[in-house]
Amino acid sequence: MSLVDEFEEAREDLEALLVECLATVLHEEAGPAWGAELPPEPTFSARLAIQNPEDGACTGVVVSTSATVGRLFAARMMAVAEPSTDDMLDAICELGNIIGGNVKSLLRNACRLSLPTAEITELPVPRSGGAGVTVQAMVLGQLVELTVGGNAEPEGLCWPGSSSEEILETQQ
Amino acid sequence: MRILVADDSKTMRMIVVRTLRQAGYEGNEILEAEDGAQALAMATADVPDLILSDWNMPNMSGIEFLRALRARGAAVPFCFVTSEGSDEMRTLAEQAGAVGLIAKPFTAEAFSDVLRTVVSA
Repeated sequence: MSLVDEFEEAREDLEALLVECLATVLHEEAGPAWGAELPPEPTFSARLAIQNPEDGACTGVVVSTSATVGRLFAARMMAVAEPSTDDMLDAICELGNIIGGNVKSLLRNACRLSLPTAEITELPVPRSGGAGVTVQAMVLGQLVELTVGGNAEPEGLCWPGSSSEEILETQQ
Repeated sequence: MRILVADDSKTMRMIVVRTLRQAGYEGNEILEAEDGAQALAMATADVPDLILSDWNMPNMSGIEFLRALRARGAAVPFCFVTSEGSDEMRTLAEQAGAVGLIAKPFTAEAFSDVLRTVVSA
């Protein structure tokens, strides 16, 4: 089965996963959306990769939403009235981490998940159209997108742990 | 009760602490660590009664933290709070000595269900 076929086959599960994660994290009703566009305003994105340890191949996971939602997420998740930009980046990172972990459990269980990284772009980044699927959900009247794609570049991402014998030694 | 919360996300640490309160675990001393290495140092110095730890963290992951802790003979109840809740991860956690795994996203009820078997509110 090609990557495109695999991701297409998982589309409904990915939609359900996105909706459930948003609803549980925000304690709000969420529902699937189709064919919507992110508004022309700064966009917050969290990016992760799921790497197959055998061949190094990476599946990319990107969660994107508008600055409006980024602010809303941070305010809700951190229980603050006026979240800073760093708060918003941390909140979208954690949302990406939650969704990425669930995507891994769904599609790539034996692989390893990177740590999330977040960025702000001036406008929504056009979808690459590569081997992957994008699913959408609405929460609080706002759009959130999840893109899962194959052949992702792990550059710029960090990986958990590393175990550091050095760390262990210095702390003993 | 002293509870150590380890997660590299400030947002998630705040959510975990808030959810602990919602689950009935109020009035506890909360210690926060940003990664496994810091958590190991704090757990050694301050000996918590319960540890809630993320799995994927920089410097030292949650599972590395747990193994290091158990290798030192510490028997403090240790529960993962992680976005990866597959059966394989649960088995790995149990084999390393964790008492539970709470999958993100979680509810206060999920916290109660797991923690009531380990500590009293």
